[in-house]
Amino acid sequence: MNFNLTTTPEEEAFRREVSDFLKAELNEELRRQHALDKGLGPEARAFNRKIGQKGWLGLGWPEEYGGSGGSLIYEVILIQEFARHEAHIPNEIARYMAGPTILHFGSEEMKKEFLPKIVAGEIEFGLGYTEPPAGSDLVAMQMRAVEEGDYFVIDGQKTFNTESHYADYHWLAAKTNPKGPRHESISLFVVDQRAPGIDIRPLETLGGERTNEVYYDNVKVPKSRLVGEKNKGFFYMVNALNYERLALFQMERLFPTLNRLIQYIKETRRNGVLLADDPVVRNKLAQLVVEAEVGKCLEYKALSMLLDGRIDYEAGVVKLFGSELRQRLCYKAMEILGQFGLLEEDSPWVPLKGEIARLCRASVVDTIGGGTSEIIRNITAMRGLRLPRK
Amino acid sequence: MDIKFSEEQEMIRHSARGFLTKNCPSSFVREMVQDEKGFTAELWKGMAELGWMGLIIPEENEGSGLGFLDLIVLLEEMGRTLLPGPFFSTAVLGGFTLLEAGNEAQKKKFLPPMVRGDLIMTLALNEAESLYDPGSITVAAKKDGENYVIQGTKLFVPDAHVADWIICAARTGPGGDSGEGISLFLVDGRAPGISRKPLNTIAGDKQFEVVFNQVGVPKENLLGALHQGWPPLKKVLQKAAVAKCAEMVGGGQQVLELTAAYVKEREQFGQLIGSFQAIQHHCANMLVDLDGCRWVTYKAAWMLDQGLPFETEASIAKAWCNEAYRRVVALGHQVFGGIGYMEEHDLPLYFRRARVAEAAFGDVDYHREIVAEQVLSHGVF
Repeated sequence: MNFNLTTTPEEEAFRREVSDFLKAELNEELRRQHALDKGLGPEARAFNRKIGQKGWLGLGWPEEYGGSGGSLIYEVILIQEFARHEAHIPNEIARYMAGPTILHFGSEEMKKEFLPKIVAGEIEFGLGYTEPPAGSDLVAMQMRAVEEGDYFVIDGQKTFNTESHYADYHWLAAKTNPKGPRHESISLFVVDQRAPGIDIRPLETLGGERTNEVYYDNVKVPKSRLVGEKNKGFFYMVNALNYERLALFQMERLFPTLNRLIQYIKETRRNGVLLADDPVVRNKLAQLVVEAEVGKCLEYKALSMLLDGRIDYEAGVVKLFGSELRQRLCYKAMEILGQFGLLEEDSPWVPLKGEIARLCRASVVDTIGGGTSEIIRNITAMRGLRLPRK
Repeated sequence: MDIKFSEEQEMIRHSARGFLTKNCPSSFVREMVQDEKGFTAELWKGMAELGWMGLIIPEENEGSGLGFLDLIVLLEEMGRTLLPGPFFSTAVLGGFTLLEAGNEAQKKKFLPPMVRGDLIMTLALNEAESLYDPGSITVAAKKDGENYVIQGTKLFVPDAHVADWIICAARTGPGGDSGEGISLFLVDGRAPGISRKPLNTIAGDKQFEVVFNQVGVPKENLLGALHQGWPPLKKVLQKAAVAKCAEMVGGGQQVLELTAAYVKEREQFGQLIGSFQAIQHHCANMLVDLDGCRWVTYKAAWMLDQGLPFETEASIAKAWCNEAYRRVVALGHQVFGGIGYMEEHDLPLYFRRARVAEAAFGDVDYHREIVAEQVLSHGVF
C-alpha cells in the first residue's frame, strides 16, 4: 500500500519542474482567463504554446507524432500540478478526446496533420456533441451529415459547445445513418470551426462562462476529415475513456479555495467572535476538510487503478463526489461568509475577490456537465455492482 | 503509487474470512448476544491459534510483529461477520496501551499470555460526566504508601465481565487543558472492591458499569509515568478509532453485498428491483460512501505504519465513517423494505452494531473538532 503519487527521484524532479514553471509563469491575468474563459485570451494561448514547447502536452504520446513517449505517471503529475496551481489544463478536448481518438482510429493523414500541432499546444478543439434534443441521450442527436461527392454536407444545431468561440476545430458528432441501429448511426468529424456555413452564437451562463449554440447550414466537410470509419462514431465516443483522466483532479482543484477559506476564517471577526473560535464555524469547516480528504482518497484510488490499467466505475465516482463536494463547499462557505458571500468581484467590501459568489454560481453545472450525477449513479450501480439494466 | 494490499495482507484476509465464515455465522452472533459471556472458549482458542491476538505484538513478546494496516485487514473481516467477544478490548485497547505506555517488565508479563489467548484485557475510561475527555475524569487513584487505591465508577467498559485485567484511567493529580493528572493502572480483574453491572445497549454488546471501591493497585502496575497517562492513551484512542473504522468498513461491505444480491433477485412490477433507477441510485450511494470509508481508513492506517503524523487523518476517517456507515445501513434498510426491518433478518444486527461503532472512540462532532483544531492551527489543508 502506498498513497504517495510520486515514488522515484525522477518523478519528484518532474513535479518540482512543473511546479516551478507554474509559479513563475502564472499571473493574475492568466488565472482569470483560465477560471472564466478557459483559454480565450492571447496570453492563455501563448502560455499553452510555452507548455507545448516544453514537450509537456505530448507526455505518453508516440514520438513519431511529436510526443515524448514516457509513462502515464508523468501526465498524471502534470495534471495534478496544474490543478494545484489553479491553471487550466491546456487543450483539454484536443489532448483527451480528439487526440487519442485520432491516434487510435484516425487515418495516417489525419494523425500527421493534427497530432503534432496538438502536442505543440498550437491548436484547440471544441467538443461538438450536445444538441437541444440530445443531452444525456447523445444518440438522440439530429445533426445530419450527408455524403455528396468528396464531401459530407452537414446541417443542424449543436448547443452548450463551450470551446467553439475560441477553438480552431470542432470535434463534431453527426448522424450519417439516422435510420440505422442507434449505436451505428453516428460519425465523428474534424471540422474547421471557421468554415463557411457555421454560425456561432453566444450563450451566457449562471457561472459567468460563455458557451455557444453552433448552427451548421450546408457546411461542406471534406471526406478526409471523417474520423476513422463511417457510423462508428458512437463507439469512438464511448472509447474516449481518456477523458476520465481529467475528471480525476476535481479534488485538488478545490483545495486552494478551501485554504483561502481557512485563512479567511482565521482572520475574520463576526458577531463578537473570531470565526475560527466559533464552534459552529469550526464544525462546518471540519466537515469540508473531512469530505475533501475522502474525495482525495477516492481520487488516488482511481488514479492507482488507472496506472494499473484497470480503472472502471471509479472515475465516475470521483467526478460525482467531487462535483457534489464542490457544491457543498460553496454553500457552506456562503453560510460562513454570511452577507459578504453575496458580494461579487468588483463590489466594495468583497471578501476573497468574490470567489465564493462566483463559485456558487459556477458549480451549479458541475453535477450536470460531463455526465450528470444521475447518469453516473446509474453507471456506478451497473458497472460497480452489476445491477441489471432491465 | 500503489493503492492495494500486499499478497501477505490478502492472505490474512483470505484466512480470516474462511475462519469467520465458518465459525461466526449470524446465528452465532445472535446466540452470543443472549449469552452472558458473549463468546466461546473454542472460538477464542481458534483465533489465538491463528495468531490474531499477537498480530501487532512485537516478536520479542511472542507476537508476529506485523503492522497496523495488517491488523486493519483482520478487523475488517471481523466487522464483516460482527465477531462477538473481547478481541478488540484485548488486542486493540489492551495491546496498544501496553505497547505505548508499558515498561519492559510489564510488556514481558502481559503480552505473551495475551498473544497465547490466555489473557483478556480491557480499558476503563469513560464516566458519567466524562466521555473521552481527560479533563473531566473524577475516578481517583490515591497514593497508599508506595501503592495506589482507586475509587469511583467507570461506565461503558467493554467486556469487563471477562477481563482478567482492566486498564483504568484515573486521576492522580490536578487537571489541565492537556489532560494532565491522569494515570493509567493495570488493575487485576479479581481484585477485591471491583463490582460490575451489565449495561443493556442497543446492540447487546457487553458493556459494563464498573465500580472501583477502594481497589488496591501495586506500584508496579502503574502504566507509564505518573500524571502522564493521557498522551499515550490519546494515541491508543486514535488507533482504536481507526480500528473501529475498519470494522465499520467490513460491516458496510457485507450490508452492500447483501443488498446488491437482493436487488438482483427481488421482483416487483414485473421486473427486478435492481433495474429501477431509484434502487440503483441508493446502491450507488452506498458504494460511494463505502469506498470513501475504505480508502480513508486504509490511508490513516498506512500513515501510522509509515511513521507519519496521522492524528488528523484518524479523526477524518472516524468522522466520515460514522456518518457514511449510518447512511449505508439506512439505505440498505430502505432497499430491503419490510423484510429488512424484521429481527430475523441480518440487517438489524448491523444496524445495532453500527450505532455502537459510531459512538465508540469519538462521535462525529468530537472528531470534527480535532480536525478543526489541526487545520486552523496549521492554517492549511
